[in-house]
Amino acid sequence: MERESRIVMPGEQVSDKPERIGYAFVDKGRTYSTVVGLYSEGKLVPLEGPYEPLPDDMIVGIVSEVRFSGYSVDTNSAYAAFLSSREIRERYEMGDMIFARIQKTDETRSIELGEAKKLPEGRLVRVSAVKIPRIIGKKNSMVDMIRANTGCEVIAGRNGYVWITGKGDSNLAEKAIRMIEAQAHTHGLTDRVAAYLKSQKKA
Amino acid sequence: MESMNEIKRDTLGALISQGKRGDGRGMLDYRKINVQGGILQNPEGSAIVSIGKSQVMAGIKFDIAKPFPDRPKEGVLSTSADLLPLASHLFETGPPSDEAIELARVVDRGIRSANIIDLSSFYIDDEKVLAVYIDLFILDHDGNLIDTAALAAMGALLSARMPKVEEGKIIRGEFTGKVPIKEKVVTCTFGKLGDKAFLDPSLDEEKGMDCRLTLATTPGHLCAAQKGGWGAVSEKDLMELFDISLEKGKELRALLND
Amino acid sequence: MGGQGEKPALLVGGRRVDGRGVEDVRPLKIVARVLNDAEGSAYVEWGKNKVLAGVYGPRECIPRHDQSLYRAVVKCRYNMAPFSGAEEHGRSGPNRRSKEISKVIKEAFENVIISENFPKTEISIFVEVLQSDGGTRCAAVTAAAVALADAGIPMKDLIGAVAVCKIDGQMAVDPGKEEDNFGESDMPIAFSPRTGDVLLFQMDGLLTREELARGLELARKASMKIREAQMEAIRKVYDEPKEDRFLLIG
Repeated sequence: MERESRIVMPGEQVSDKPERIGYAFVDKGRTYSTVVGLYSEGKLVPLEGPYEPLPDDMIVGIVSEVRFSGYSVDTNSAYAAFLSSREIRERYEMGDMIFARIQKTDETRSIELGEAKKLPEGRLVRVSAVKIPRIIGKKNSMVDMIRANTGCEVIAGRNGYVWITGKGDSNLAEKAIRMIEAQAHTHGLTDRVAAYLKSQKKA
Repeated sequence: MESMNEIKRDTLGALISQGKRGDGRGMLDYRKINVQGGILQNPEGSAIVSIGKSQVMAGIKFDIAKPFPDRPKEGVLSTSADLLPLASHLFETGPPSDEAIELARVVDRGIRSANIIDLSSFYIDDEKVLAVYIDLFILDHDGNLIDTAALAAMGALLSARMPKVEEGKIIRGEFTGKVPIKEKVVTCTFGKLGDKAFLDPSLDEEKGMDCRLTLATTPGHLCAAQKGGWGAVSEKDLMELFDISLEKGKELRALLND
Repeated sequence: MGGQGEKPALLVGGRRVDGRGVEDVRPLKIVARVLNDAEGSAYVEWGKNKVLAGVYGPRECIPRHDQSLYRAVVKCRYNMAPFSGAEEHGRSGPNRRSKEISKVIKEAFENVIISENFPKTEISIFVEVLQSDGGTRCAAVTAAAVALADAGIPMKDLIGAVAVCKIDGQMAVDPGKEEDNFGESDMPIAFSPRTGDVLLFQMDGLLTREELARGLELARKASMKIREAQMEAIRKVYDEPKEDRFLLIG
């Protein structure tokens, strides 16, 4: 994202050769983008888009149904997720927030979850899933910075659900997340978020 | 989704009991309000209003109609609301929901009972009067649609022009001046959770609160009211919120151009 | 072309009733991302047309018997506000005309949306005509395409639409209300600019072979301008990022 890149549109050519690029397609020997995205050197990063569940994604979910053998979990995607009771030691109730790993997705896009952990009381912020890497930051730099300045823990699920918890200024933490979401594609964002958090802390 | 309500109620309850709100507002603060009037050319009147992330457009249209048999010398006022499916993932296509009907009727009652439009001036001839239609288009839903819609309706009425009528027909595109509006009716909607009341509930707050109270006022009078939701309000609440509504009403009226 | 009243002269000395030449498109303004809850949205002002589009999905397809195991189902609702017209107050809700328009718009987008990525889901396109001035279905397609791109729905192209008409025996692009009412022919067309394919095509009135060819040529030229405006609107979302989303009219 820090390198020279340009915004491309759906249907815009990114290469005059057939190339295997994510979020692109090949037609008559040329390669075109399918999304509004940032393109540079054979890589296309979508700027918006629905969450597409992948194995090993860490997601934030809401327990939506308690069933005999486990739990149905709302994961901000069109597909149902299931967490088997065998995968966990705790017991959940409807409405509990959990942080879990996607174990498996099948061809009908059903999601199997594991390694789940119940999240403490807090608030949920829904953001576009493609912005999550920016909200987490390089080696957790953004979430660490938000914690240091607001006293709130930020758990950002790959699925676009972000859970803010802790006794700190959760209102400021949410504002910082909204700022990152709106400016995810820009340069120097870490510095601007840092400056924003500092200015708000004083006020 | 059902399971969200309990989470919202717990988190909201923890905040509200300390006199705080999720977005940092005071208990009696509105979110940011924008009002634009006279934005469309085809209808006689129009406005778009946003309160926070809620957005409502109102259109005013005149037609020739038959008067109601019990009011043969009066024009017809009709208000309706559409919760458009693009406004919220919670809204569906289809006939008006109970929520849309309640919304339109509350806005209508405020305007009607304060007599701010002189419907007797809409009389044309035997069996012929002007009908004024107020259509409320809900474009974005982030809570407190009633105040947003009421403000849009009022904004649209204040921008509305009287159509020229000749030989019992409306001459489209020609006008005889502004529609006379006697006063500005505004509504203040409060949420209640436990024993705490707060103005202008957001969608998150609506999901968690016990009940809602809307008070429509003119300067000095209450002119319509509606309680919604399972929770209760006390007489003391009503008296206090009435006073607050009169005060807050001044702020809202200041946003509406004459 | 059921116009009421006396037919005015629509073309005098190569100029149209509003002063345009036959190849001129009315002023077009597009703003992307104007709604908060919708996953993608766009607002289009085109002449006096004011059209709003919102997109949701892919989300669970309801009712389930509409579902496909192989792809997302595309749904579209085109609707006119009861206050949108210059004449009498309209009826709320869908009618035969709006249902037909919804169907042809949906089918145009089915061609470009990569729906195989999202089996069992639906992608919903909602278009509200807030003010109509002739050519609302073309404005609807143009707005919906931007809203879909804004939602990040993968598509093979950013499509746009424009109508051509025959006025006083000559072909002209982008008919306004009067030309719509009194013209001899009306032909709305949506193109895929990348391939040149025609994805929405309707016509009424009488056209010769030459007139049809001329109409297609005019529409194709105009559709390039429409694509420019669409791309500019999308770029602006990122050039000037905003946390507040409002619909600013005019």
